[in-house]
Amino acid sequence: MGIVSIARRIALMAGLVASAACAGSAAEAADKYKIYLSMSFIGNDWQAEAANMVKAMAAHKSMADKVDLQVQVAGPNAQRQIQQINAMVQAGAKAIVIFPISPTALNQVVKNACDKGVKVFAYDAEITEPCAYNIHIDQEEAGRVTAEWLVKKLDGKGNIVILTGVPGTSVDDQRTKAAKAVFAKYPNIKIVGEAVGMWSQAVARTELSKILATRSWDDVDGLWLQVGCFTANAMQLEAGKKPNELKPCAGEGANGGRIQMLPESTKVEGASPPYAPLGAPRISYASPPYSGALALKLAVQALEGKDVPKLTILPLPVVTSETVKLCEEGTWEEMKAGCNAFNPALVSNPGWFASIFSEQTPEIGLNAALVGQPEN
Amino acid sequence: MSLVSARGPKATVPLARWLARNRGALIAAIVFALSLGVVDWVGAGPLTYFDVSFLSSGGATSAIAAMGQTLVVLSGGFDLSAGAVVSLVNVALASSMDPLAPGANVVLWTLAGIGIGMTVGAFNGFFIAWLRMQPIVVTLSTMFILQGVTLLVMDKPGGFVSPDLGSFYLGDAVPNLVPMPLAVIGVVLLMWLWLKGSRFGTALYAVGSDPDSAAAVGVSVVMVRFLIYVIAGGCYGLAGVFISAQTGSGDPLVGNPLLLSMFAAVVVGGTRLGGGQGGPTGTVFGAYILMMVVNILLALNVSAYYSTIAEGTILILAVLAGSISRGSVLAVKLRAARSQFAAWRAGTLPAQLERVDRRMRIAPPTPSRPVTAPPLHVRYAETLRYALPAYICLVVIVIVTQLWLGRAILNPGYWNSLLVLSSFLAVLALGQGTVILTGGLDLSVPWTIGLCGIILAGMVNGSDVALAYALPTVLVMGLSIGFANGAGIVYLGISPIVMTLATNGILQGFALLYSQGTPAGFSSPMLRWFMTGRLAGVTPVVPFMLAFVAVAVLVLGRTPFGRRVYGIGNGVRAAQLSGIRVERTLILVYMLSSLCAAVVGVMLTGFSGQASLGMGDDYLLPSIAVVVVGGTLITGGRGHYLGMLGGVLLLTALQMLLAGTTLPYATRAILYGLVVLAAVMALRERRVQ
Repeated sequence: MGIVSIARRIALMAGLVASAACAGSAAEAADKYKIYLSMSFIGNDWQAEAANMVKAMAAHKSMADKVDLQVQVAGPNAQRQIQQINAMVQAGAKAIVIFPISPTALNQVVKNACDKGVKVFAYDAEITEPCAYNIHIDQEEAGRVTAEWLVKKLDGKGNIVILTGVPGTSVDDQRTKAAKAVFAKYPNIKIVGEAVGMWSQAVARTELSKILATRSWDDVDGLWLQVGCFTANAMQLEAGKKPNELKPCAGEGANGGRIQMLPESTKVEGASPPYAPLGAPRISYASPPYSGALALKLAVQALEGKDVPKLTILPLPVVTSETVKLCEEGTWEEMKAGCNAFNPALVSNPGWFASIFSEQTPEIGLNAALVGQPEN
Repeated sequence: MSLVSARGPKATVPLARWLARNRGALIAAIVFALSLGVVDWVGAGPLTYFDVSFLSSGGATSAIAAMGQTLVVLSGGFDLSAGAVVSLVNVALASSMDPLAPGANVVLWTLAGIGIGMTVGAFNGFFIAWLRMQPIVVTLSTMFILQGVTLLVMDKPGGFVSPDLGSFYLGDAVPNLVPMPLAVIGVVLLMWLWLKGSRFGTALYAVGSDPDSAAAVGVSVVMVRFLIYVIAGGCYGLAGVFISAQTGSGDPLVGNPLLLSMFAAVVVGGTRLGGGQGGPTGTVFGAYILMMVVNILLALNVSAYYSTIAEGTILILAVLAGSISRGSVLAVKLRAARSQFAAWRAGTLPAQLERVDRRMRIAPPTPSRPVTAPPLHVRYAETLRYALPAYICLVVIVIVTQLWLGRAILNPGYWNSLLVLSSFLAVLALGQGTVILTGGLDLSVPWTIGLCGIILAGMVNGSDVALAYALPTVLVMGLSIGFANGAGIVYLGISPIVMTLATNGILQGFALLYSQGTPAGFSSPMLRWFMTGRLAGVTPVVPFMLAFVAVAVLVLGRTPFGRRVYGIGNGVRAAQLSGIRVERTLILVYMLSSLCAAVVGVMLTGFSGQASLGMGDDYLLPSIAVVVVGGTLITGGRGHYLGMLGGVLLLTALQMLLAGTTLPYATRAILYGLVVLAAVMALRERRVQ
C-alpha cells in the first residue's frame, strides 16, 4: 500500500519539477539587475499600495531595461522572511528591497547578504544592522507634531481618546511615546480612553464603540488616533453630530479623511457620506507608501556605483484642514503644485493612503499607486 | 509505531507492519527528499554545504517547536501557547544579556530558556492534568497571559543576544559535514527515541489513543499529561533559544506567527490530530518541507497573490498522499460507490426492491400511568451547570464596569453597544459551535469573512438596489465554501483542522486576486443603517440578533438536525449505526458554519462601512474561545447555544471594560487571559471513576 502512494507522489513531484525547469530557463534575463522585493503581509491597503508603486517604478522607461524585479511575500512571520532573504541570496539577487517585519530579527541574515555583496534596502520600517540602507520617516517626529497640533487645537485642556498601532512594534512605540511625552507636559490634557487600533479602520470602529459604550461624545474633546479619524468622524455623524461639531482629530493619511477635511461646500465627484467633504478639523500624516519605490530607485543607483547614503529620512507629509487641496487627475506634476486629496470617483476606497507625492520620484503618480502604472 | 515497537529493537516486527506504522513519517521523508531535489534543481547552482547549512538553520526553530507540539498532539491535546513561549524566551534572553560582558555561557542560557519553557508547560499541565480542564482553552488563556508578560519584559524590538550563542547554534557540529542546527535536532530526536522506548513513551501513546483504557491498565494519566506539557514547553524554550541565537536580538512578536505553521508541520509529518498516531521524526521533515516551499515558490517566481493558494494546495496534497491506501476514506467511498453501482445494475438496491412491510408485529402499548416530566431545573441541570458560569462572570464584569467606569447598568447605550458588538461573535458561535459539537473545528472562518465582505462591498458599491442581489450571491458563496470543506472532510477523509486551514489559505489567495490587494467599494446606506443606525432607540441589528438567538436555540435543540449533530459528537460510529446519515449531516454542519461566517462578513462590512483584507483575522480564536467558555466540550457532543451566547457576552463585556480604562495593553492581555481561565475553571470535568 505504501508503494502506490509513493508512486503517485513521485508522479506529482515530477510534474512540479518539469514546470520548474521551464520557469527557470525563462527567468534568465541578460544584463539586468536581479532585484527582489520581500513584502510583509499583503492583507492591507498600505502594503498593496507600496507594492504597486515599487512595480510601477520598475516598469518606468528609465528602469525597465535595467531591472528584473521579482516580488515575494513573507506574511507576518519574521522567521519566514529570514528564510526568504536567504533564498533570494542563493538565487543570485543583486539587491533586495525589504519591508522588514522586525527591525532586529533580520540583522544576521542581512549581514550575511551584505557579505555576499548584495545591497539591502529597507523601506518604511528600519533594519538596525549597519550595512543595510534605510528609508523611512521620523516616527517620533510624527507622534510629536500631531500631538502638539491637538494640544494647540484644544488650548491645552480637555479629555482625549487615543488609539495606538500594533503593540510590540518600534513604529508604534516611537509614535505613541513621543505623543504621550507631549500630552504629559499639559496637566489639563487628560487621556480618558486608550485602545489598541492595529492601524485598521475596522478595528478603530470596534474599539471606539467599546470606549463610547460608557461615555458619550460630549465627554470627549479631541482624538489622537494612529488610524481611525475617518471612522471617528463617521461615528459622530451617526450619533447625530453636525459636521461643524466634529471633534479635532490627529491621525492617518487616508484619502477618506482628506476628503472629509475639505470645506463642506466643495463639489467632489463620487462623494457619498461619510466619504464626503465635511470641513473636519484634522491633521493628517502617514508613513508615505512611495518609500518602497524610492528604495528601489536608490538600490539601482547604488548598483550603478553611485554614492547612496545609508539613511534617508523622508520629509513628514503633514496636511491640515488649512492646507488640504483636491487633485483633478493626480499626475505627479499636479501633486507637485500642492494637491493632496483625490476624488472618490478616482479612489473608491476611503482607506487608501493619499501621501504618495515625493520630489524624488517623478516616475510615479496616482496611477502607480492605484494600478502599478508609471508616469510617462 | 506504538506498543510493539516501543519494546525496543529486539521485538521482531515484519517489515510491512513497520512500514504501515511509520507511513506518515516515511512519506514526509520522501516528499522532503524530493523538495530538496527541486530546490537543488531550480537553484542557481548545485547545493553546497553552505546552502545546506543555511537551509537547516532556517527551519530549525519551527522544527524544534513543532516537535514539542507533536508530543501534545500525540497525547490528544492541543497547545496554543507554543508561539507565545518562543517570544517570551526570546525577549527574556535579549533583555537580560549584558552587551558589555565578554562572552556568554551557551549552556547556561540554553538551560535558562528551556527552564522558562518548562515552567510555562508546568502551568499548562497543572490546569490540564490536575484540574482536568480543556487543553485548548487553558493554552489559549496562557497565550494571552504570556503575550502580556512578553510586552512587559520588552515593549519593542531590541535588546542584545551574545554573538557567542549565534556562532554556536549556527556554526558546525562537524566542520563541512554536519551543521549545528541539524545536530541539535538530532539530539532532541535521540532523546525522543530514548523516551519512546521507556515506560513513559508507551504511556504517552496509550493516553493519546484512549485515556480511559490507559487509566484502566494502571497508567497514571494525570502524571503523563502533566509531563507531556512540561517536556513540550522545554522544546518551545529551546526553539526560543535558537531563534535568539539566529536573530541576535529580541522581538516581542517574533514567535506568534509560528503557531499555525507548527500545526501544519505536525500534520504534514504524518501525526494524526486527536492523538495516538505519529511522532516527532515525521514532524521534523514536515517543518522542513513547509520551509522549502518558500524557496520553491521563490525559484519558480510564483506571484505573491498565489502563494497562499499554493501552500493550501500543498497541505491538502501532502495529507492526501499520506493517507492513500486501501483503508483510506477516499478508497472506501469509491469502493462503496462501485458496489452501489453494481447493485443498481443488478437491480438489488433496497430502493429497487418490491416494498413489503417487513416490520415485526408488536402489540400496541398498554396504557400506563402518565409519566410526569421532571421539573425544569432537574431536566436542564447538565446544561445549567455548564452554561451558568459564563453568565455569573458576565454579571460580575458588568458590576465592575459600573463601579469602575460608571454609567453601565442603567445606561441603555451600554447595553445597546454590548449587543451590537456581541452580534458578530454570536452569529459565528452558532457555526463554530455546531462544528465543535460534532468534534471538528473550522479554521476557514477568517477568510470566509474577509472574502465575503470584500465581494459584497465590491458588488454593492453604495447602492441599496445592488444589495438585493449581492446579499444572496455572497450567502450562496458562503454555502459553497462550507460544502467544499465538508466534502473534503467527508469524502477525502482529511481532518477538519487541515481541510479548513488549507481552505483558509486558498480563500485568502482568492480575496487577494479579486481585490488586487486593495478592496474597492463600500457598504450601502441601508446595510450601514442596519449596523449603526437607530430604530426606536436601539440599533436595528439588536432585534435581528434576538431573533437569531431564538432560531439558533431551536435549530440545535428542537430539530432532527440538532439531535443528529449531538449524536455525531457523542460517537460517529454509534451515530452511523443508529441510521444517522453522518456524511450529509457533517456537510450541512460545515455549510452552516461558512454561512454564519458569510453573514458576519456582511455585518462587518455594514459596521465599518467598507471591507478590508484580513478583517476576519481577529475573529478566529475568539470564535473558538466563546464556544468553549460557554461550556461546550471541544471534543464534541456537549454544549448549548445559550451557553455559547453567555461566553460571547462575557468576553465582549470584558473587552468593553478594558477598553474604557487606560491600563497598558500588556496588563489588559494578562487580565483577559486570567478571566477566561477563571471562567472555565468552573467547567472542569468531574473525576471519572
